[in-house]
Amino acid sequence: MAVSEQTQDSEIGATVPRAAGRALDWLNLFVANIQTGFGPFIAVYLTTHGWTQTAIGFALSIGTVTSMASQVPAGALVDAVSRKSRVAAYSIFAFMVSALMFALSPTPIYVYLAEILHGISSCTLGPAIAAMSLALVGRRALGPRLGRNARYAAIGSGVGAALMGACGAYVSSQAIFFLTAALAAPAVLTLIPLGRIDERGAAGGGAPAMEPKRILHLLRDRRLLIFAACALLFTLANTGVLPLVAIALTKRAGDRASLLIAACIVLPQVIMALIAPHVGRIAEEKGRRGVMLLGFAMVPLRCLLFAGVTNPALTVLVQALDGVAAASFGVMVPLVTSDVAGRSGHFTLMLGAVGFAIGIGGTLGTPLAGWLADRLGDPAAFAILAAIGLAATSLVWGAMPETRLHVVAPRRSAPKRN
Amino acid sequence: MRRALAVLAVLLLAGPARAQTPPPQTPAETGAPAQPVPAETGAPAAPVPAPSAGKKPEASRPQNLEKMAPGVAVPILGRKVLDAAGKDMGPIVDVLVDRDGLVRAAVIDFGGFLGVGSRKIAIDWRLLQFNPHDRDAPVELALDRAEVQAAPEYKPSSQPAMIVGPPPSVEGGSVPTPEK
Repeated sequence: MAVSEQTQDSEIGATVPRAAGRALDWLNLFVANIQTGFGPFIAVYLTTHGWTQTAIGFALSIGTVTSMASQVPAGALVDAVSRKSRVAAYSIFAFMVSALMFALSPTPIYVYLAEILHGISSCTLGPAIAAMSLALVGRRALGPRLGRNARYAAIGSGVGAALMGACGAYVSSQAIFFLTAALAAPAVLTLIPLGRIDERGAAGGGAPAMEPKRILHLLRDRRLLIFAACALLFTLANTGVLPLVAIALTKRAGDRASLLIAACIVLPQVIMALIAPHVGRIAEEKGRRGVMLLGFAMVPLRCLLFAGVTNPALTVLVQALDGVAAASFGVMVPLVTSDVAGRSGHFTLMLGAVGFAIGIGGTLGTPLAGWLADRLGDPAAFAILAAIGLAATSLVWGAMPETRLHVVAPRRSAPKRN
Repeated sequence: MRRALAVLAVLLLAGPARAQTPPPQTPAETGAPAQPVPAETGAPAAPVPAPSAGKKPEASRPQNLEKMAPGVAVPILGRKVLDAAGKDMGPIVDVLVDRDGLVRAAVIDFGGFLGVGSRKIAIDWRLLQFNPHDRDAPVELALDRAEVQAAPEYKPSSQPAMIVGPPPSVEGGSVPTPEK
């Protein structure tokens, strides 16, 4: 089995169709584009349609609960389906329907349905992209490939924020959702070349067995649990930072506030786009732990700096450090999960479990930061978030083992895809 | 179905003297200061019972209907607010009334970019100017950005609520001000 694994991986690595690699780049870009439309902007949009804050909170929490509940089942589903590109196509189609529902009928029943649809399809799309990446390049070259995914996703998010900001300012907030829906078309087109690697992925991964006992055993893997805990703490500390910073800018920066907040959103994406491929390569050549520690350490560092910095321009610069954290985190989550999943055939199930942990951190992060800032003021809130980030970093340092395969050293041909 | 009705948060801080002040913008138009939030004017084919009508069992047109011309009845939740310089300040997200049901303030969702970084700020109702001729026109605010951005965030739970009033220089000017 181990011998065939090696030949299979190298065969796949050698005969990767260029078109499929490019298609995956674009897929990541367009999906990130689309996801920007489903961000915090939804609250603004519903507000302009006369929704009360309570009703908006309820609608958004439907989306949150849906995506939390569907993370693990969606991961299991993607494992079980051999044609991952088809899963991706359905997910993107669901995004489009969801965006159109927002645009055409912002009434409760459609908004709830749209939130549910988007919550579920987010949980199937992410794992499907990760699985297609794995099937495309094989496990030995996954790091650099995920680095590329992160680069193009960052470009997509940055361009998406700029595009939709302009759309909202110069056209209408409804137009943002039409744009989001329209972007689904090129995203689906990228799946055509990717469909051809589906069979290979099925052959490489093997048909996963779905016995509950085995799945429980897999999910109790110590490395997976530690990594999930690290990821939860990381997101818990990190998610609330941008909203706090942005609110502080709204208070202090006057007319330029919106522009500075936009910079706070886009600049980290620029940094991430620049460094993510290198992050993936270094993780493959030197190991995961170093990259993870560097990324995780950015959170406490940034929070401590924010506790002291009040100058708006400096604030934007400090926020740029988030690009380093996001690049590391974005590559590490699928990469370490793939290491841990090994050839069990349950890569995306495990990715769903990590996604669940991230979801918890992400859901609690913003209210936690807001609550802390409310009670204790911004500097103390940042100090506490720094402490949580430090705890996450320490957990990586002290408990997270290196998960990279040890037999990787002699391969020089792998990182050529850059 | 189209619009959620305004949630009227009752302000408890209103002192007796201030509570007597009638809101100068609304009474001429609504005619009923106790119901300051305009109800939807239904088309004649589909009449909407007024909030005071109670639940009448008959499906036909209720007797106690009042007419509000389309230009007069202005739904305000989600309406854009522009500052003195014509810049977008954010939408109205809530309306605050005092114990007597008189409108005291509008809560606007101020600033931010794509929903990130906005803060809710309560603005004195009398500083808002509505355009009676254009139902879709934004609301104008007789303050500029700098006078609003430093205000503390409005929180439904925190009492007393802080309301941004007219700047000292405008006192006794074009904006009607209550005697303290």
